[in-house]
Amino acid sequence: MAIINLKEKTIQVKIIYYGPGRSGKTTNLEYIHSCLEKKMNGEVSKLVSIDTKGDRTLFFDFFPVNLGTIAGFDLKLQLYTTPGQVKYEATRRLVLKGVDGIVFVADSLVSRQLANQESFENLIQNLNYYKLDLDSVKLIFQWNKRDIDENLISLTDIKEMEEQLNSKLKTKSFPSSAVTGMNVLKTVNYIAKKTVETVIENSIF
Amino acid sequence: MIIHENSVDKVDAILQTFIDESGATYVLLVDMAGNLLFKAGEGNFDEVTLAALSAANYAVTMEIAALIKEDNFSLLFHRGDNENIHFAKISDDILMIVLFKPYLSLGLLRLKIENTQGKITDLIGSEEWQS
Repeated sequence: MAIINLKEKTIQVKIIYYGPGRSGKTTNLEYIHSCLEKKMNGEVSKLVSIDTKGDRTLFFDFFPVNLGTIAGFDLKLQLYTTPGQVKYEATRRLVLKGVDGIVFVADSLVSRQLANQESFENLIQNLNYYKLDLDSVKLIFQWNKRDIDENLISLTDIKEMEEQLNSKLKTKSFPSSAVTGMNVLKTVNYIAKKTVETVIENSIF
Repeated sequence: MIIHENSVDKVDAILQTFIDESGATYVLLVDMAGNLLFKAGEGNFDEVTLAALSAANYAVTMEIAALIKEDNFSLLFHRGDNENIHFAKISDDILMIVLFKPYLSLGLLRLKIENTQGKITDLIGSEEWQS
């Protein structure tokens, strides 16, 4: 749930990167964090990762970002990832509490298409747990790992991924590579802008 | 949630009184989604990240309670060498997180937290807050 503080003139929104295990959610946050560190000369909050020794997300990754001003209000984003592995269902659901915007990071590998669909179904169920649905939060897709050489590993056609996951919602999507940074910043800028627009509309009307 | 200017001033005053009377180092009010709502006291740390981690910590603890068929754990508290931290749920959606020095009495601090909880919940229940 977004927080609008009229005295301090701030808007806080919670954005979550959701998707199957190893689809690139943590890598998205790491890329954004490293870009901000360079831009701000290291003066950004630490990227907190609660993960296993095997480097898999156990609970979440988190860092807060100040993203400038909108209509005189300072925009503060709280960026989170969820654990993608099926066994971490309990902690994944907890992270979704109070979500305002979601980036669904789908894996482009042919072998991971079923995992994408299962994770998307799981997202809908977990939103229902908080009495939310895909109309009440802003959601966009990222078709990740587009940098992979198709001569080595087969990738699913973007059109096919759109049909599988985005045929009903028809929301914005970005082909991306979290490893190289392709469309990573565009994704976060877009979801931030659209989420804040939705929050302001819902607060005023 | 929209927090109005008047409400901010009132909560700030309640929290400052809590700091003055209890001797605690720092107090945060955080919603269950991990958003920092209010703060008072003096501390040199990233309070936004502390808010997010505290809400997560509380949520996980409640899940553990549910798993072992407990409604709640009445005391959520970590003791450090230089700083202790106490977590209390003061309304359906708000956590109060207090940092305090190990030489302060936990019992007395909990009494002050309870007293502050009453003042905050009265304010949240008022028409002014909900308008």
